[in-house]
Amino acid sequence: MKKFLLPLLFLFLFLLESMFAQYAPPEVFGDNYILAPRFLFGGLLFLAIYTGRKYGIIYAAIFGLLFDIVWIEIIGIYLFLFPFITYLISKIMHVLQTNIIVAFLVSLVGIALLELGVYEMDFLIHITTLEFISFIKMRFYPTLILNAVYLLIAAYPLKRYFESVAQGLRDE
Amino acid sequence: MPQFFLNKRLIVLLVSIIVLVALIGFSLRERSKLSWPEQFLKDTAGLVQSLVSKPAHLVAGFFENLQDLQNTYEENKELKSRMEKLVSLEAQVQELEKDNKELRDILGEQDTLRDFEPLQATVIGRNPDRWHEMIIINKGKTNGIKKNMAVVTAHGLIGKVKTVNQFSSTVQLLSAMDPKNRISAIVQGETNVNGLVEGYDKEKKALLIKAIPSGVEIKKGQNVITSGLGGVFPQGLQIGKVIDVKPDQYGLNQTALVKPGADFYDLENIIVITRTMTQPTQAEMGTGEEEDL
Repeated sequence: MKKFLLPLLFLFLFLLESMFAQYAPPEVFGDNYILAPRFLFGGLLFLAIYTGRKYGIIYAAIFGLLFDIVWIEIIGIYLFLFPFITYLISKIMHVLQTNIIVAFLVSLVGIALLELGVYEMDFLIHITTLEFISFIKMRFYPTLILNAVYLLIAAYPLKRYFESVAQGLRDE
Repeated sequence: MPQFFLNKRLIVLLVSIIVLVALIGFSLRERSKLSWPEQFLKDTAGLVQSLVSKPAHLVAGFFENLQDLQNTYEENKELKSRMEKLVSLEAQVQELEKDNKELRDILGEQDTLRDFEPLQATVIGRNPDRWHEMIIINKGKTNGIKKNMAVVTAHGLIGKVKTVNQFSSTVQLLSAMDPKNRISAIVQGETNVNGLVEGYDKEKKALLIKAIPSGVEIKKGQNVITSGLGGVFPQGLQIGKVIDVKPDQYGLNQTALVKPGADFYDLENIIVITRTMTQPTQAEMGTGEEEDL
């Protein structure tokens, strides 16, 4: 049972993003802002930081592929960016001390990198024509704030759970 | 130089970039339908989503009800005043419909571009990444949905069916940037003006109707509907109202900014529209690569 808990958690985050996009009323956040939930990716980064790089990258690739197929219908964008940024972040964590505040900040940097990467890719293949300045104002800052709030709430439970997963892996 | 090629990580990165470009190229090309593993995954995900979305709908509905309660009194007053107008309007509509039917009988023309069959569907998911504006609905091929059908809410057109799976389908909203997403539209006025809905201005939250000849005068507040001339959508679906008109880059045409009638957020129940009039076959339409809807 315990084995299935980890995929289920990520599946839940995967669906939670969609529900947030569907139900979060735009009036509350102002009409001019676009807030993209990155709950799943935040979770993946924490997994990579607390459970180990190999685990993090495998999960990032699987859920990146799922994300691409189910939501985007263009395979490749998230399949590439999720594992790539997870790898970068775990490299950065090698240098830094693993404590919860550092993990929080580094995850936020990861989400910022993801937003920039996705914007550049979508701009290249003409999914969007939004200018960079508008992108920063309309989408980048609001998204970072939203995900910072999410990480503040979720950081501690995620850390506890992923550490216990790592413990379980070591015991095996 | 050998050092460079021995670097394993660099090679992995390069190979994955090549694979990335290949995959994006593969999925960007004109595809009439998704490959079966994709369809299978999407259907499975759709199943899970529809399970989860039911309680989510309930919870969201409860909060919406609470909000509605707050301004019930004011709304009630306004609605009552509208009711009186509605009664007379209804009588008028009936009269006109009867007239129309009689005249049609005389002419012997039964089918119009206007005829359609509605099919109700529920939204079970929305793309969280917000670049590609898409929603997923709980009806698919088995329910008779086909690619490119129009999707509306009570307030107007919201998009078209992009891909169809067995039990779920993906709807691309009008707010998505897609150069292939062109809808033939009419700006209603004393004389009707034809144009094409092409693109969406994210900052102004308005649809762009391009290719309107520059001599034509268009005013703010004019109604915009689908024309049905594109061959897929029926005629007369509400799109929105004109909020601004500006000349295009070279001054030969005008571009009208249209505020969509429907809200692209907070979608729950939508209607997929099947045009009853036959479509021209692909051979009759020529081999144009881009499609006008």
